[in-house]
Amino acid sequence: MIVLLGVNHKTAPLAVREKIFAGCEEERDLFSRLLSLKGVQEVLYISTCNRIEIIASIEGKEETIRSLCDFLAQNGNLTQTEAEKCLYNYCDKEAVRHIFRVASSLDSLVMGETQILGQVKDAYRRALERNATGTVLNRLMHRAFRTAKRVRSETAIAVNPVSVSFAAVELAKKIFGTLAGRKILLIGAGEMAELTGTHLISSGADDIIVANRSPSQAVQLAEKFHGEAVALDTLSEKLIEADIVISSTDAPDYIVTADLIRKIHHQRKNRLLFLIDIAVPRDIDPAADSIDNVYLYNIDNLQDIVDENMNIRKKEALKAEAIVEEEIMRYTNWLKELEAVPTIVSLRTKAEEITQSEMEKVANWMQKFDQEEQEKIKILVNSIVNKILHTPVSVLKEESSEVGSTDIVATVRQIFRLDE
Amino acid sequence: MSLISMELILFKIAFALCTLSVTGYLLSLLVKKVVLAKISTWILAIAFGFLTIYLLLALISSAGFHNFGSRAFFSFCALSASGVYLVLQFKTKTRLLGAFISPFVLFFMIAAAGHQTGKSLLPEAWGNWLTMAHLTLTIVGGVLFVLASCAGAMFIIQNGLLKHKKLSSMSRLLPSLNDLDKINHICLLWGFPILTAGIVAGAVFAGFTWERGWPADPKIIWTFSAWIIYGFLLHQRLAIGWKGFRMAVVSCAVFILFLLSYIGVRFCFTTLHDFI
Repeated sequence: MIVLLGVNHKTAPLAVREKIFAGCEEERDLFSRLLSLKGVQEVLYISTCNRIEIIASIEGKEETIRSLCDFLAQNGNLTQTEAEKCLYNYCDKEAVRHIFRVASSLDSLVMGETQILGQVKDAYRRALERNATGTVLNRLMHRAFRTAKRVRSETAIAVNPVSVSFAAVELAKKIFGTLAGRKILLIGAGEMAELTGTHLISSGADDIIVANRSPSQAVQLAEKFHGEAVALDTLSEKLIEADIVISSTDAPDYIVTADLIRKIHHQRKNRLLFLIDIAVPRDIDPAADSIDNVYLYNIDNLQDIVDENMNIRKKEALKAEAIVEEEIMRYTNWLKELEAVPTIVSLRTKAEEITQSEMEKVANWMQKFDQEEQEKIKILVNSIVNKILHTPVSVLKEESSEVGSTDIVATVRQIFRLDE
Repeated sequence: MSLISMELILFKIAFALCTLSVTGYLLSLLVKKVVLAKISTWILAIAFGFLTIYLLLALISSAGFHNFGSRAFFSFCALSASGVYLVLQFKTKTRLLGAFISPFVLFFMIAAAGHQTGKSLLPEAWGNWLTMAHLTLTIVGGVLFVLASCAGAMFIIQNGLLKHKKLSSMSRLLPSLNDLDKINHICLLWGFPILTAGIVAGAVFAGFTWERGWPADPKIIWTFSAWIIYGFLLHQRLAIGWKGFRMAVVSCAVFILFLLSYIGVRFCFTTLHDFI
């Protein structure tokens, strides 16, 4: 059976996750230790900033799950109460559903984020390197990656940005197309402005000017971006050069007025200008938005876009859940087919044994035939046995993959007395 | 199979493909999926191929461009419109522009379908390379101005959405403001000299044909005023620095004005250019 257990951002606070993470990282040979636990056949360990999970293919149930839970609790130095409160575990179909949802980013803190798939792939690669996975988990992980890929391509869950800084980047792209060669002017050295600047730079913008009341802070930030630090009184000059302006000062009045923009607009040769005002109270006069080719967004406008995008993601998540269910069905069908494999092997072995013993009984009688005729008789006997077995084996494969027909394996074992 | 029936089959295929392409483009606007616009661009490219073969056959059967019938002439207009758009696609990758330009292509195809094939468009005396250059350059120049206006219309829509702080699916579907402004710029920059060359070719031809110079033809006056206004637009862009929204609005306004005055000239006057 497949079992998944662990903690995530919903069940455990950061302090607890940190403790378990540190404990597991300290383990010299994590995979060997996990595989040495009684009943664990295959194992995979996933650790991200929001979750620490173990997926295992196990024999036996309660005892192995208990030992895996204890393993995590001990590594995190968790008390009994803490462990009971934070640790969750899922078995079989529920475990498959959970890992498929995790890989598809449906269980993430920010639904639809794109990093989780890479992190799960890394975890799988580490387990592969230690030969910790086998038929069941290999197939499970490949299915999980396929599910995530389908969710990404068939739904719009990861399309629209759900953070203010990424929404600003998307808007900049809708205004300028490519951001290559665009000049950014940061007014104030606030954290949010810095983050938005970082995203714009990583999206292709290649020049940044930092204007701040405190020159030392401006220089510090400019150095970080390999940009230029300027004093606030040169603002109007720098506005002429800039394409994107991000303002986040704590000034009580407008720093950029509509009149200033009107005055420099001709000098800017009417180029498109994207103004992002994330300051409260506002730094940029809202009247600037009425000027042609000037696009002003304040923090509320950006937040509205983020909220709208989040709603779109929630709607898309419903489609994604349907894809997950479809893939769970496929995987569990395969798993059931896999359950029938030992029975099929036993059935064939039994048939071969019967053939062998019957052929031995008539060995003397066979002597009167020449070598070629003996071969023909053997081929004939094998062919009859195979044809007789063909239908039960096919039915066993087909029926065992159907949900709710778990008894067929037991019936076949009973009819052919395979357990004797 | 005779050459004429072959031409007819090719024309019908091109017409069907154009209709399919326009439907695809409009659907892409409706369901807001750019992939439909991409497919429609490919369909239009195939239609362009069929139309080219059709016109080559028409060229063979009519023994020269100046002997083109009305159907072949309007097909040539459709070919120019789709050709200029497809070339622009390589440069800008703004597939959705097709949703605005393809109805014009279909309009030319419908006009072509409504005319009899075979009947020569121009009097035999007019058949020379100057009229050919005049027709070709004026059509291509005109198509570029149509494209400039389409890009302008798209700019106005995108500008409205961004000014209303809406990053809707329509806004995501439309190209960026900068790309649209660039298309408007490229089309004006190329359209104006091409139209100028077309008008000069026509004027030289008129000088040869009618010794007294240009006849006072309403359509000549209409084209000439279009040329002046587009020249003015180009001047404002290059010298004064008009960009973005203002350029988009003026391009669209001028285009609508010319479309309306064309309809007026077309139906109220008899002109030397009755074939268009």
